Amino acid sequence: MRNPLSIMRRWLGSRRLRAEGGRTAVRSILDRDSVRAAPFWLPPFLFVGLFIYGAIFWNIILSLTDFQGIGVPDYSALDFENYVIAFFGGTPSWSSLTVPSIWNSAWNTVVLMVSFSVVCLILGLLLAILVDQEIRFENTFRTIYLLPMSLSFVVTAKFWLYMYNVDTGLVNILLGAVGLGPVGIVQNPDLKLAAVTFALIWQFSGYAMIVYLAGLRAIPTSHFEAARVDGASTIRMYWHVIIPQLRTATVSALVVLTVFSLKAFDFLFSMYGGYQPGPSADILATRMVREAYANGNWAYGSAIAVILFIMALAIVAPYIYTQYRRGEL
Amino acid sequence: MAGLAGCSGGGGGGDGGNELELLHAWSSGDGNAAIEALIEGFQEEHPDVEFAEEPVNGAARSNLDQVVLNKLQANDPPSTFQTWPGKTLEKFDGAFEDIEGDVWDEDLKENYLAGPQEQAQLNGTYVTVPLNIHRINNLFYNTAVLDEAGVDPASLSSASDVVDACATIDENTDAVPFAQQTSGAWSTVQLWETILLGQAGIDGYEAFINGNGNRDEVEAALQSVADLREYYPSDSSSISFTEANTMVMEGNAAFIHQGDWAAGAYSNSDEFNYGEDWNQVSYPGTSGSYLLNMDSFPYMANNPSPEATKEFLSYCGSAEGQVLFNEKKGSIPPRSDADVSALNDFQQDQFADFNDASNQPPSIQHGLAVRPAIKTNITNAFSGFLEDYDAAATADALIASFT
Repeated sequence: MRNPLSIMRRWLGSRRLRAEGGRTAVRSILDRDSVRAAPFWLPPFLFVGLFIYGAIFWNIILSLTDFQGIGVPDYSALDFENYVIAFFGGTPSWSSLTVPSIWNSAWNTVVLMVSFSVVCLILGLLLAILVDQEIRFENTFRTIYLLPMSLSFVVTAKFWLYMYNVDTGLVNILLGAVGLGPVGIVQNPDLKLAAVTFALIWQFSGYAMIVYLAGLRAIPTSHFEAARVDGASTIRMYWHVIIPQLRTATVSALVVLTVFSLKAFDFLFSMYGGYQPGPSADILATRMVREAYANGNWAYGSAIAVILFIMALAIVAPYIYTQYRRGEL
Repeated sequence: MAGLAGCSGGGGGGDGGNELELLHAWSSGDGNAAIEALIEGFQEEHPDVEFAEEPVNGAARSNLDQVVLNKLQANDPPSTFQTWPGKTLEKFDGAFEDIEGDVWDEDLKENYLAGPQEQAQLNGTYVTVPLNIHRINNLFYNTAVLDEAGVDPASLSSASDVVDACATIDENTDAVPFAQQTSGAWSTVQLWETILLGQAGIDGYEAFINGNGNRDEVEAALQSVADLREYYPSDSSSISFTEANTMVMEGNAAFIHQGDWAAGAYSNSDEFNYGEDWNQVSYPGTSGSYLLNMDSFPYMANNPSPEATKEFLSYCGSAEGQVLFNEKKGSIPPRSDADVSALNDFQQDQFADFNDASNQPPSIQHGLAVRPAIKTNITNAFSGFLEDYDAAATADALIASFT
């Protein structure tokens, strides 16, 4: 992004110098690297601008309308009604039914997003440190840990549906062996969200491991040796010397994991056979699709999408900003 | 795929428009065989009509609805598409055109029973042609298991009798009394609506779907479901409907309540025969009712192929077309005058029950009885019910679904 932007800036600046006018100015513009490279950077620049940022912007506008059912949205009367309904519930002007607020699914989303990302990072870091000990079959372990990520959510959802089975599921057999089970998990309001989060962690901690492993490999051996010579214990060495150097790895893993946690929709959809996983596992994504595609409340669905977007941004943006300030991005 | 369909449909619209764009989600199994048979039968009579037939991938009705809504937004309607009739049509309100007279002629009006005929209308206007009927209020059972338990299904006359029978089966056999899946809410919604129909009667049921339900009746039906739950498989929340159905086929479960598509799996098995190994009764308490689940093809306004679409819809409304379709689909024709001798014994019995039924109420779960936003609220209430089986709280939520 930065490159085409700075090119644009330079190009805009250069226009002021066109005072001499005439063919030379035109030629000098056409001769510029930025212009000559345009076939390479311009199409992606336009496509990304239109389909990503344009779509986000359009979605924000749409969320301010009353667009519902089929037809064409009316952009003449924009207001924040959908956000008021989202936060407080009530009967909106575009519906005869009471529409509940989004707090329940928003809370579930935050719990899922935060617990999933944090546990994935911790687990990934531990795995990476273990795999980094120059163990035998390192590649095999790496592949084994990473493999679940390559599976589709439909597969893993059905797989965990079986794992959580009260009679035959492995999880319940293990719980039974330590005298805790069997317990109903899939429709248990106290365990539902945790069970989904656990399954997602199983699927994605391998990804965090790979990112951290790359980070660990980039740290010069001399840092490990210096810490050793200074008499640091293994724990102190990692805590004070190594982990602080993994900040970039953490950020890039976190961004991707946050995005994955938003994709939990697919998992819930497959596990509960639709976008109604029940109040204790309902997230904003399921609520949004319900409003938009089951009820045809397009504008309200857009408002939920915007809220979800802001939440994701609120989690990711501070990290990206610090990294940017440090010049690491 | 849908995008391609849109392009070809848009191009076809210009040149006279005899190419019929038909969207459906029957991309595999018996549904696919049924639509193929229907189209083949139609083309024998109308060889000039070509199909830009597009099964919408994903094979889920919700995907199909999205594709159709997107096409409607782009002002590029298909000729017709597979949809539930009844209140589901409200989702596409404004996109249909009146076909009374053209398609819904005196012949159709005479031969469709009152229930299905009402479902073909949106706000009193005939816009769609129901093609098949699946019954929701059957209770299927494994004969051997019931014999072993000493339960006579014909003696059951209310929902609480079913609970008592389950207790007897639980005592006398090793089988699971009532096969049910609870990972998704839909099976429980259709069980509850069936029990409500039995306990509150047709008047109580219709009052509920019209938004004037009696809270106590709603709660009593929920309580009956909660009582039955004791007799579900212990892992009901991890299994699918097919797995539950297989339990009945293998003699590991006694009863299953499902739409009559459950019988499709039975007829595919050589060792599980109707009348001998399995049988069915109307869900106790609902014997005079035929609880409807239907598919239909509506006529779209701004139609890319007006004449061809009307010919096709008329064919869907003919006894011949409906028999061809339902023979493969496992459901029954909505036309009461259809000659069903080509259908299997079970379907023929269902058809006889249909013609004898004193009423044909629409199903809530299957989109006929309430409009989509209300159905979403109802399914929400049930997704909570599956977590705690709190009949009182769910009854409040169900009554509030309409406000």
